[in-house]
Amino acid sequence: MLFIFKGTQKCLLLLLLLFGGLKNTQAQTDTATKTATPQSAEEEDFSQYDNIGFSEAGAKRFCSPKIEGLSPQKLIGLGFDFQASHNMDLDSFNSNLLSGNAHTYAINNASGIRFNCNIPVISKTNIVWQLGANYWETKYNRADEGPSLPFFPNPVANALINNGLRTLGLNTTIFKPLNETNFILFQGSTDLNGDYDWNLMPMKYLKYSAAVIYGKRPSERKQWGLGLSRTYRVGELNYIPILMFNYTDAKNKWGTEILFPARAHVRRTINPRNMLFAGYELEGQSYRLYRDNYLRNEDLEIRRGEIRLRLVYECSIKEFLWLSIQAGYRINYRYNVDRLENGNEILRAFGILSKEAYVMNNKLSNPLYFNISLNLVSP
Amino acid sequence: MKNSLLTFLLVAFTTLTSFVYQDTEGDRLIGVWEPSNGRARVKVEKIGSKYYGKIVWLKEPTDPVTKQAKIDKNNPDPALQNIPLKGYRNLKDFVYSGKNEWNEGTIYDPLNGSTYSCTIKMKDKNTLEIRGYIGVSALGRTDIWKRLEVKPKS
Repeated sequence: MLFIFKGTQKCLLLLLLLFGGLKNTQAQTDTATKTATPQSAEEEDFSQYDNIGFSEAGAKRFCSPKIEGLSPQKLIGLGFDFQASHNMDLDSFNSNLLSGNAHTYAINNASGIRFNCNIPVISKTNIVWQLGANYWETKYNRADEGPSLPFFPNPVANALINNGLRTLGLNTTIFKPLNETNFILFQGSTDLNGDYDWNLMPMKYLKYSAAVIYGKRPSERKQWGLGLSRTYRVGELNYIPILMFNYTDAKNKWGTEILFPARAHVRRTINPRNMLFAGYELEGQSYRLYRDNYLRNEDLEIRRGEIRLRLVYECSIKEFLWLSIQAGYRINYRYNVDRLENGNEILRAFGILSKEAYVMNNKLSNPLYFNISLNLVSP
Repeated sequence: MKNSLLTFLLVAFTTLTSFVYQDTEGDRLIGVWEPSNGRARVKVEKIGSKYYGKIVWLKEPTDPVTKQAKIDKNNPDPALQNIPLKGYRNLKDFVYSGKNEWNEGTIYDPLNGSTYSCTIKMKDKNTLEIRGYIGVSALGRTDIWKRLEVKPKS
């Protein structure tokens, strides 16, 4: 009995060793003959893959949200924005409780950090959904003017210079391909803009922006679309048509990345890890003056809109970590102060729908600016 | 003694069958697949105990500038920039970990010359979820690949 057991045990051990050994031998042989180098070693007739269809009945092909040669999408970015010295020419301000003289304030610089993130939530062939968040700030550093300050300092100037402006927002992007060439793109965002501090502001002051585009992707190197947006980019609420045009030439040297009127850039690709852009971006928001108790009750908002003419250089500094440097000219489009009517915004539509006067007609001179950011880019 | 022998046999049998079963299950990845952008077709095969995928078809196989077959010109390693894209192994080192998932592999994107960590999940026998990511899975993008039917050569 003991002999039988010992024999069986030996047999089993032998079998185990044999199986394991065979498995390893097989692996070694396969690995030796088919090395996993980038190029597979064996000759293959690739023509057999030309005319084949999906295994699953009814499976469809859909167009991709990207085209070849586009700059990589940024997942997370942390940057610093700096506007050089300029003048803040503020109008006089009058209300029942407060008043202040017009004055030109010298600003040494306006600067602040900018954080953005954009994470894919659903990424399927027939729908792509992304969620993002952002925090931007602008702090005004006033030059010391001593006795040249007005006798009655402007309370709006005090609020701006002492508190700065902040934007905290959430956004979402949905790409819905309809077939191999047509798609619908939706972007929506909600932002809390104002001179608030860490206590933020009530959610009733949230601003909502949205855009919807119907587009076509006729080739791997071209994508265009037309749509409509509800936007604050010109400083105050507007509804404007938009044009999308992304293009890369056959050599992948030149291209365009355009979402007019929000931004338009010509792209020069030095190589896929080094890109240069020339163009502009339209930036803007409506900022609530909230921190000062008196101004808060006046229902005031700064309508800030600016055009940034710029050169941008983007490069990979280590694999997926990209550096973006931009420099250019910040052109003031609007910096007026508006009073809300019973809490509602005035929809002027460039003066077509309303010619209501602003509470303050302000002007900023146009400085040079630069922006530097580190970004983690998407696969 | 009898009990010990039975236990030993049971363990040995379970181990052996689990090896064989895992191998068979993992082999479901073998085949030809098309990424959602439809730009390429990738043939997955098994080398040793790992799974690899190579590009076997390109929607635009010819470089519009050189009029020659496309090569891996964006590869960060200059020594690999002349390798033809057709036949290029863009999926590497995948190991079947059970529950319809293949891990520990990488995916290479010839459009920008980047290699990403990657996991493959089989949603059904004809659909793969390929997730390329940077460091942690949350920082990534998922693509859907569909199985293609290759007719056997007559």
